[in-house]
Amino acid sequence: MTNPDAPQQQPGKPQPVADGAEREQAVHRRLMRFGEGETLATPVWEQRGTTVRAVEAQLMTLWHVPVRQLIQGDESVDTTELAHARASVLNLIVTVLDESAAERVVKTMMGLGARHPSRAIVLVANHEASGDSVDARISVHCQTPTGGGERVCYEQVILTVRGEAASHLAGVVAPLLIHDLPTLVWWPGAPPIGHPVFEQLVGIADRLIVDSSDFGDLLVGFRRLGSLRRRTGVGDLSWERLGPLQELTAQFFDTPRFRRYLPNLNRLLIRYAAGPQGRPEHVVASGDDVAPGVASPLSQAMLYAGWLATRLGWKRYRTIQPLTDGAARLRLEGRYEMVDLIIEPQPVEQLPPGELVQLRLRSLGETGAAEFIIDRDARQATVATNADGMTASLRRTAVPEDTESHLLSQQLVVESHELVYEAALRAAAILLASAQPGDSGTE
Amino acid sequence: MTTRATPATSVTEPDISADARPQRDGNGQRPSPNPLREGLRLDRMPEPCTMIIIGATGDLTLRKLGPALYNLMLGGFLPGEFSVVGFARREMTDDQFRDHLLEGINEYSRNRPVNAAVWDSFAQGVAYHRGEFHDPAAYQELAKRLDRLDRDRGTSGNRLFYLAVPPTLYPEIVKQLGAAGLTASGEERPEGTKRGWSRVIVEKPFGFDLVSAGKLNREINQVFDESQVYRIDHYLGKETVQNLAVFRFGNGLFEPIWNRRYIDSVQITVAETVGVEGRGEFYDQTGALRDIVQNHGLQLLTVFAMEPPVEFKAQDLRDEKVKVLRAVKPMTRSDVAANVVRGQYVSGWVEGEKVHAYRDEPEVAPDSQTETFVAMKVAIDSWRWAGVPFYIRTGKTLATRATEISVQFKRAPLALFARAGTPAIDPNILAIRIQPDEGILLRFGAKVPGQGLQIRSVNMDFRYGSSFAVDSPDAYETLLLDAMIGDPSLFTRGDEVERAWEILEPVLKAWAGGEGGALHFYAGGTWGPPAADELLERDGRQWRRP
Repeated sequence: MTNPDAPQQQPGKPQPVADGAEREQAVHRRLMRFGEGETLATPVWEQRGTTVRAVEAQLMTLWHVPVRQLIQGDESVDTTELAHARASVLNLIVTVLDESAAERVVKTMMGLGARHPSRAIVLVANHEASGDSVDARISVHCQTPTGGGERVCYEQVILTVRGEAASHLAGVVAPLLIHDLPTLVWWPGAPPIGHPVFEQLVGIADRLIVDSSDFGDLLVGFRRLGSLRRRTGVGDLSWERLGPLQELTAQFFDTPRFRRYLPNLNRLLIRYAAGPQGRPEHVVASGDDVAPGVASPLSQAMLYAGWLATRLGWKRYRTIQPLTDGAARLRLEGRYEMVDLIIEPQPVEQLPPGELVQLRLRSLGETGAAEFIIDRDARQATVATNADGMTASLRRTAVPEDTESHLLSQQLVVESHELVYEAALRAAAILLASAQPGDSGTE
Repeated sequence: MTTRATPATSVTEPDISADARPQRDGNGQRPSPNPLREGLRLDRMPEPCTMIIIGATGDLTLRKLGPALYNLMLGGFLPGEFSVVGFARREMTDDQFRDHLLEGINEYSRNRPVNAAVWDSFAQGVAYHRGEFHDPAAYQELAKRLDRLDRDRGTSGNRLFYLAVPPTLYPEIVKQLGAAGLTASGEERPEGTKRGWSRVIVEKPFGFDLVSAGKLNREINQVFDESQVYRIDHYLGKETVQNLAVFRFGNGLFEPIWNRRYIDSVQITVAETVGVEGRGEFYDQTGALRDIVQNHGLQLLTVFAMEPPVEFKAQDLRDEKVKVLRAVKPMTRSDVAANVVRGQYVSGWVEGEKVHAYRDEPEVAPDSQTETFVAMKVAIDSWRWAGVPFYIRTGKTLATRATEISVQFKRAPLALFARAGTPAIDPNILAIRIQPDEGILLRFGAKVPGQGLQIRSVNMDFRYGSSFAVDSPDAYETLLLDAMIGDPSLFTRGDEVERAWEILEPVLKAWAGGEGGALHFYAGGTWGPPAADELLERDGRQWRRP
């Protein structure tokens, strides 16, 4: 019997393991793209083989640089603004394990800057290196928010930590945090829950942000996230992606005449994007935004089902069709009706795998059947209602941007625990367990 | 990992919904809340309804209403059944009216270019109805058309009338709406649905003085119940009111010192750099007191000074605001000269550009006595505010564009650091800036580093823009949505409007009677006439320069 609580992955040891130094260089090259196209408010400070204490001292003096020196550093800097411009609302710790994560972090963080000015500390851990050493690069970036307004400046620190020190990242980063601000850890990729390095980092954070669609094993990931939440708030970008669809779903039942159908829902069909070949697949990058690697395209569908199940009090009843090729069928017990939950992949080209493309909620009301439909393509959704066999209301709405920057920035404003998410997460784990062939789903 | 096989039958697992909150049966306000709303960022969306814009071919529809409705649709805030009917005198087809709206959206919407699919879906619900405002038959036809819409589009008899016409037309239109049976608002049905509501939105200026405002209120209330009337003051649709309320009541730090014991005085400034901008005729009949102080100025005063409401809901909020207005000490006509300064701008330079004198503006009388600047001192006779003067000033072509409330705190009880020859330490200031650059600034004394003990005032400066770089919705979007949902928190109630006029009545009367102090002239680009400075200097204070 395997231990479900064993770490899924060793930090710093992604597979396949490239040569340590080579990988580190590749990561470094990617990270150097930070702040392209932005104004640098102070000259970049960069040092190899430095100490955390030196980095700390440098951060302390960052905003005390004499004006004359600044002008020499960058002619374009309007020094009169500097006294006001620095803004920090949180500490954001990001861990970067490989080159694709570095690429993703750079793009996402650059989109984030003006929205959430934060002290961002990017940690690159290299366990394989011999000898302990720390390289550091500090830069201050300024952006003018879209739509005008005041320039906002924020700091970024990139730390490459080698050898033994890479096993003590929390100790490296703790002295560099701005006190009294919320501290968030964003872990792109599958988090190694249970591993000491990860646990220590989460220990100094108020909130952990992950993307459950990155999880190698969704069920194990859901369960572990659920067990984590008592100590730390958890944010999930996969859940955040559902926001607009949850809003559209809730809107059906804001209308009192439709609300009465809600307790009588008896069928929920969820279709999710599965890539052009109709098979869930791993996509790394497309277009301007870096599409997150979709290791678990079922994540959104399960969370959506978990959400409705917890809001409406549905219980697991039995498995009609266990998970095969990304499709499953469960029967749940609602308050008044049995509910068929059908989850199916659908080949779509314009949407990344895992995005929900079709939702159908069917109900048997007192006066007849009703169906509530959301059909989604890349930037739009068609919303329709067929109730009592007479009214068919149809409308189109825009689906807001869901770049990773946008999702992350939405998650950064959430305070600590999101109770509705945490309930949906636990339900999603139970539903997924029941759907999994050969797994009883016991917790 | 456990390897037990999946049992195919009956595994009920009670903990799946362990966290589902019990379905609340209502808090007395709404019978069964939508359980899916919990944890979502929005409270709810409006029921299907039709918005009827009366005077639909005007500038307001083009610039504000059309773009606001489109942006609400784009954001998914309006139900699919939502419909718009334009009503005006001009001959126009449905398609021409749609084009008219689209033109405005293309020009003024904050989201451009227009999303074709969303626009098409929105445009399906747009219609135009031609009619004269005084013609009963036109309203009868409108009523029939709305009934058809209810059937065809499922708008459930819910109607929101927007009077985008000059206030002089309000009584006639409201009377005609009533005669055509368009104003009945439905009661709750036993199962929680409503029979269809009817609401009306009217724009400011609401009345010209106490008598006219009272008359207008009565005329509207003969047809619409007060709960159906939404008086729009777009100033309240900005984030200001909520921000100020959150600042006061969401922080334990400020509320204990928000009273006469700690606060020395309060200044409210609504400063504009623009002149009358082609509205000479309107402005010359109105003046700064009616245009700004009666609504924006007193609104800021009430939100600043009100007691904590029992709940952050429309009824409680508006009750508390009215209480503040009721506590404002009435002025006698003889008080006016001592407490109110009026001014008018002459030519000067604003933001590097020359401005003409007010009397040289088009459509302004060459000997106009209309004030373009007002500074006044107001007292609130309440337990909390007795003895704290509130200074309100507003003006056109002033040095800077700024709206702010600044609070001056009392000085420290002992001048511990005073030495011969050094000036007294400045009092602490808390400035709540509303525009531009919404933010909060706290000014306090700090020791100048070095030998000796020198103290200088420094600023602790918070700007919303630095912490929340998000795109705020236009005020009209917020207000239209609120009216459709039926939340009047950000609209002005009839008694509130009348009470505001009552406060200003002695001033208006004194000025009309040639009393109340001379009209002072000030050069454009300055901070108003010297008399305004003297108003404060007499009390040993001075205006803050925002």
